[in-house]
Amino acid sequence: MAVKKDYKDQKLAEKLRDRKYYIPDSNPEFIKDVEKIGQTAAHMCYQCGTCTGSCPSAPRSSYRIRLFMRKAILGLEEEILTDPDLWLCTTCYSCTDRCPRDLAPTDAIMAMRNLAFKRDIVPRNFLQTVQLIYKTGHGVPNNDANRAARKRLGLEAEPETTHKYPEYLPGIRRILDHYRLKENADRILAEGE
Amino acid sequence: MSGNKHQYAFFLGCIAPNRYPGIEAAAIQTSKNVGIDLLPLKGASCCPAPGAFGSIDLNVWYAMAARNVVLAEQMKMDIALICNGCYKSIYEVNHKLKHNDELRDGVNEVLKEIDMEFKGTADVWHLAELYYDPKIVGVKKLADSVKRPLAGAKIAVHYGCHLMKPGKERHFGDTENPMWMEELVAALGAEPVQYRNKMQCCGAGGGVRGYDLAHALDITNEKLINMQEVGVDAVTEVCPFCQLQFDRGQIEIKEKFGAEYGIPVLHYNELLGLAQGMSPDELALDLHAISVEPFLKKIL
Amino acid sequence: MAEVKKYEEPRIGVFVCHCGTNIAGSIDVKAVMEYARTLPNVIVADDYQYMCSTPGQNKIAEAISEQKLTGVVVAACSPRLHEPTFRNATKAGGLNPFRFEMANIREQNSWVHMHQPEEATSKAKDAVRIAVAKASLLEDLIPKSVPVEKAAMVVGGGVGGMQAALDLANAGIKTYLVEKTPSIGGRMSQLDKTFPTLDCSQCILTPKMVDVYRHEGIELLTYTEVEAVEGYIGNFDVTLRKKARGVITPAEAEARGIVGGGCTGCGDCATVCPVIKPNPFELGMAPRKAIYIYHPQVSPLIYTVDFDACVKCGLCVEACDTKQAVDLEAKDEFMTVKVGTVILALGYDIFPIEKKFEWGYKNYDNVITSLEFERLICASGPTGGHLIRPSDGATPKRVAFVLCAGSRDNTGVGKPYCSRFCCMYSLKHAHQIIEKIPGVVPYIFYMDIRSFGKMYEEFYYRIQDEGAKFIRGRVANITQDPVTKNLHVNAEDTLLGRPIDMEVDMVVLAAAIEPTAETEKTRRLFGVSCSQDGWLLEAHPKLNPCGTTTAGVYLAGVCQGPKDIPDTVAQAEGAASAASIPIHRGEVELEPYFAVCMEDKCAGCGLCVNQCPYQALALVEKEGRTVMQVTEAKCKGCGTCGGFCPGGAIWMQHFATPQIIAQIDAFLLGGEQ
Repeated sequence: MAVKKDYKDQKLAEKLRDRKYYIPDSNPEFIKDVEKIGQTAAHMCYQCGTCTGSCPSAPRSSYRIRLFMRKAILGLEEEILTDPDLWLCTTCYSCTDRCPRDLAPTDAIMAMRNLAFKRDIVPRNFLQTVQLIYKTGHGVPNNDANRAARKRLGLEAEPETTHKYPEYLPGIRRILDHYRLKENADRILAEGE
Repeated sequence: MSGNKHQYAFFLGCIAPNRYPGIEAAAIQTSKNVGIDLLPLKGASCCPAPGAFGSIDLNVWYAMAARNVVLAEQMKMDIALICNGCYKSIYEVNHKLKHNDELRDGVNEVLKEIDMEFKGTADVWHLAELYYDPKIVGVKKLADSVKRPLAGAKIAVHYGCHLMKPGKERHFGDTENPMWMEELVAALGAEPVQYRNKMQCCGAGGGVRGYDLAHALDITNEKLINMQEVGVDAVTEVCPFCQLQFDRGQIEIKEKFGAEYGIPVLHYNELLGLAQGMSPDELALDLHAISVEPFLKKIL
Repeated sequence: MAEVKKYEEPRIGVFVCHCGTNIAGSIDVKAVMEYARTLPNVIVADDYQYMCSTPGQNKIAEAISEQKLTGVVVAACSPRLHEPTFRNATKAGGLNPFRFEMANIREQNSWVHMHQPEEATSKAKDAVRIAVAKASLLEDLIPKSVPVEKAAMVVGGGVGGMQAALDLANAGIKTYLVEKTPSIGGRMSQLDKTFPTLDCSQCILTPKMVDVYRHEGIELLTYTEVEAVEGYIGNFDVTLRKKARGVITPAEAEARGIVGGGCTGCGDCATVCPVIKPNPFELGMAPRKAIYIYHPQVSPLIYTVDFDACVKCGLCVEACDTKQAVDLEAKDEFMTVKVGTVILALGYDIFPIEKKFEWGYKNYDNVITSLEFERLICASGPTGGHLIRPSDGATPKRVAFVLCAGSRDNTGVGKPYCSRFCCMYSLKHAHQIIEKIPGVVPYIFYMDIRSFGKMYEEFYYRIQDEGAKFIRGRVANITQDPVTKNLHVNAEDTLLGRPIDMEVDMVVLAAAIEPTAETEKTRRLFGVSCSQDGWLLEAHPKLNPCGTTTAGVYLAGVCQGPKDIPDTVAQAEGAASAASIPIHRGEVELEPYFAVCMEDKCAGCGLCVNQCPYQALALVEKEGRTVMQVTEAKCKGCGTCGGFCPGGAIWMQHFATPQIIAQIDAFLLGGEQ
């Protein structure tokens, strides 16, 4: 376990924080969860860096998908789930396309995000999309300007979706409620206010 | 109904019908002109957004996408769609559920609550691949449908990520330097141009546009620089979300970074509509954030 | 053998091996031994730490003589490993060695059921019961000796095949060296220098090529392929296709009565030939004519006509004049040779690296493979040894080397294995450009540098000291600047944890290697197995790396798996030694698992004759009747005829119907008779 430093100077305690990797600080189950959700054998990563070299987010941020893979293998759950970089993957799948180990690093990242969400760690925009779909069936719903444009084109104001047929909405809400997604989204957003 | 040989349930998604309705109008009209009828998929929802939903809970993503597929199964039809994000959700979930019993059983348990069952009887296609497939349309038939060739227009192709990648779960072959969309563009009389790193992401996906707009735009900006480097009259894509990122993104880039490009952004169906003789009004091109006028001047 | 056999009262001994903890770790050996004692016909059962040890073997021999055993069962490892050992022990005890039967309770049991001890023990009891049932019906068998032809064949004329042929010939064995291309020399003759000594590859190879060509004991058959193989160890009949070469040697000319004729390698024919084709030896980077030699040092120095390209204009015939060496009407010829043993030295091809789209080979001008680099840096190559960019002929100043290009790749596109010599030749390439191009910087993109051989790590040290830059990261993709044709190499420097976009003038892909296109066909002709990746399978990965499971067929060089020149030559010498042993002994013992015709039951219908895959059966007249006769040396004991015979008149020695039925009964009836 990392050495706890109860120095009375909080700043110094943080500056001198024990940086060693101790096996008891890691969660060996974490990689298994990642593999189950992401359906990819993430533990087979051999750290070649093809993923980071392919990543459009890496050159403009500290996001390193290879390091997420490494940390997942080492079970550094806390470090992963609290890292704001986790949400910088654009899911372009270039890494997955090129990974010589035939892994899907993108899906491993998605799995880690799923695990973060289970601990209420999630950016607000993701939850707002959930709320919109719960309400309208669409992540990007219709609006008046668009309705006018649609009519101009000879289209109906509302597309042939849940917008025109709101009777389909209860079914959608039932699915979301099954996973308590709306409830959790509302709660997390409210807590964040 | 024109009674064309090829009929598909038309999955609209969100951004095309609710932000760029010209794409929807163009898709229906241009497809009809090349022998494809697109029938309404009543009650469809958001695909749902693969970045947002996949990141939160993949199980919800599977179930919500499956519901949309089941609507088509009930029509006894395959799905055709016009958005790469939708393709990722609808194609991939359909594929996964067909091949993974455990996943399918889990999804069907939830769908049972709303009296639905995923049976795995429908296939999912992007309109662009149907256009390219000589058994359905093919480049030649597309070219034959052109009334107003887009001669002289230099067009950059943005394939977008979720249509082609991951390559091993798709069927498009080379994902590093594909050329089939260039063939689709050339069929309209335009000149497809190659630019650096053409397969790079637009930057919007995975929830990044909402999470860190500047980050997403910086990726978009890199693509725009690469396009500008070779000189293009427009960029075309087959994904309304990529379109939004390039089109509105250019306004946002100007605001945030100061750079200005003025590169018109057109969904392939809008381009096809113009080539088949549809007017800019019939395509609501005025809804585009970046003016399409310079491009229209070039081709009209 | 005309009647069904009668057996003495069986007395069986069972010996169960612990194999340390290999078996005893998951199987209750004592329980298996106690169980054996309860089985019918079992007189004695014992167990021991290592049955294969001398004390273990002594237990067997002593029990045979003390208990007057008629059969022995050892429950231990695979017969592949220790059947010969225990047969010898059985013989030492005074029994016919074929009275021994093995129950495999290790490879097929304890090793695969490591975590199910109860089930494993139960399965071991089944295996012992089945073996005892068979042992009770075993009979004395006498192995057959056949003479061995005092000649050998080596297929493949690269450095491995040449070395093997030289060793065999020097040991006094007539050796046929068969090479599919017009010249021996193989891949090594395409290389410029060799690591880590930096010897000139051609300089050290050509003396060997000359030795091979001149050796009286070697019959060199270039431009020749194996067409068909019949026979078995000691007596292989190999049919060869001598491809139509269109040019005859001085010896062939003499045989045709052309005085002072035949090809002298003067090249007058090529000078006048109007047809130009890419030279495959130069990987298409230099031209050749339709009548050609690959390069000046070919052996034999005989021109060859490419009949696919030849327009038969006849200019070469005129140019050759009185030598009359060119024969444009030549046809493929066939010859059959008899050899005792065969060595396969089939070599390798370069994996078509353009399949890895992300690196742009064949799409970007200045992305080349390492073998192309070898030709470009070689003084006798298409550029006279000047490394130039294919796009503009300029000398590159920044060169990236991409290691593991298609190797260590589990995507199904590349190869899962390490190609083993790419690290080292890439280090050599870095050295070569540093030596030749002032101011050049080689950038080596690597995952691990595998410098495992003698003086290899020292070579790595030297090249790093010379100024090569090492970047620990696999190359993600390469893009091309459309104007300059410079290349952008994208990777992550994993040690820095930063993405890297390196603009270079040239990229060299250290492409993976794979078995040659002909390997699959050739191995099937000789009945040799291959592993999943297509490389030929050795008899044992550690203890018999030159042999195959087909007696009399041996392996040398890369066709068995990636290896560099020293390892190839070492294996070639090993294979030559192994292949010479049966020839020098003069005869080989064949397992006596022959089919035997029970003549009184045989109706002489002849149906079996056509079924036999080895042409071992024939119909003969005996005492006024037509009956089947087996040529024992040809019979492999496959059992096809025995299973097919409508009259049940064929007895398969050691795998006879009553023996097999007893085994099945023992299994199904759980020991109840």
